[in-house]
Amino acid sequence: MSGSGSRLRRLWRYRELLHSLVVRNLKVKYQRSMLGFVWNFVLQTLNTGTYIFAEHSRLTRSVAFPSEILVFGAAGSRLIEFVAEIALVLIALVLLHHHQVPESFALLPVLALIQLLLVIGLALPIATLSVFYYDVYHALPIALTTLFYLSPVFYPAEMVPEAARTIYFLNPIAGLLTLYQDVLYWGRMPSPHLLGGMLAAAVAFYLVGYAVFRRYAAVFPEIV
Amino acid sequence: MPSSAATPLSSQRSSEAAAAPAVALRGVSKRFYFYEHRTRTLREWFIRRVLRRPLHVRRAEFTLREMNLVVERGEAVALLGRNGSGKSTALRLIAGIYQPSTGTVETNGRITAVIELGAGFHPELTGSENIALYAAVLGLTRRELAARYDEIVEFAAIPDLPDTPLKYYSSGMEARLAFSVAVCLQPDILLLDEVLAVGDEAFRERCLERLRTYHERGGTLILVSHELDQLRELCSRGIWLADGRVVMDGAIDAVLAGYRGERH
Repeated sequence: MSGSGSRLRRLWRYRELLHSLVVRNLKVKYQRSMLGFVWNFVLQTLNTGTYIFAEHSRLTRSVAFPSEILVFGAAGSRLIEFVAEIALVLIALVLLHHHQVPESFALLPVLALIQLLLVIGLALPIATLSVFYYDVYHALPIALTTLFYLSPVFYPAEMVPEAARTIYFLNPIAGLLTLYQDVLYWGRMPSPHLLGGMLAAAVAFYLVGYAVFRRYAAVFPEIV
Repeated sequence: MPSSAATPLSSQRSSEAAAAPAVALRGVSKRFYFYEHRTRTLREWFIRRVLRRPLHVRRAEFTLREMNLVVERGEAVALLGRNGSGKSTALRLIAGIYQPSTGTVETNGRITAVIELGAGFHPELTGSENIALYAAVLGLTRRELAARYDEIVEFAAIPDLPDTPLKYYSSGMEARLAFSVAVCLQPDILLLDEVLAVGDEAFRERCLERLRTYHERGGTLILVSHELDQLRELCSRGIWLADGRVVMDGAIDAVLAGYRGERH
């Protein structure tokens, strides 16, 4: 009797540890899923692009409409899913990690905009290429997996050697994930350098991607 | 909205520039490639680049050659010709689905082209959701659709239409719904590609009736069909195409006679 009683007392003394363990587990989980959700958005939107014109081939062949709207629609519905997912992460991070709402959260709409422009800018040329070559559908997951390991999903960007840092951030997804990590997890303002650079890159990707799409879109009805 | 009684076109759409034709094709050619070999994968693209082989083996053929065609507002025109004579290509060019290889396509007014029935539909959505989707695909706003919605449902005459998912429709019912949306939205220019053979006898008769009303209201109609009697009933002008060229263009009876004579 006294043995189990002292055991309980001991456990009670370690209640702080129990609390820390629970908090830590959840924190790790949400930190990971935070980047996972961003990554998932990128991955799923780009993947959808590889079959979106084939999926709507009847429509593309028989109605004159701006077909980029199919890609916008795919990105839009993914974005809503993403917002719902990230809302959970925000709540968890505020309760368990920050214990207050960090000012950096105000940047979230900007990050979402960067993310949207970037992904549409990538999805439009990928969708275009898929109309002409149907193994893009198989090649894309390989390319994306490579990109995944070249992004700070399960290691911090600081681990990348200084010398390779510039090349590393040529991968726009790496920059995007670093931004999310700063804003959400560290609750700090990202360097204006990175934020401005990513915003400019996102706009550039969008404009170039759209131009590539427009160059070829007129012949889609003849091919799909 | 003008009444369904026949009234002169000019009184209905006087605000629009009267001189501009509904459709004008000027020197329009359309070239297609026919592939003996076509590189369809990135892998093959890469191999052929390395080996310096050509990517495609193909020949170009003109489906339409130097076509000139002016359709005035309010005209009802029949396009006829054998399979592969360029009728559907012409419709797709007018609709803006294809871009011409040479020449210009000018259109004035809102166009609805029904090339494939049910192209904008989704099987999981209900009838009324599909009406909204198809209207959106055709470029209509929600308000424009709302003004026509009841007419569409009534014309399609499918019991339980609004709340039944499209996948439970028969193909005939689906076609009826598509046709109803296209026609009831009263576009300025309506293009129909062999879609008049849908539904049962009674529905076909109502379709013809509806098209006559559409035309009487001042709508421009361009029809492709192999049912020559139907064409005679609806159209006043016929255009006979062969090998991408206009063989004959004139009053429907004369063109039909010429076309029939050619076949025998």
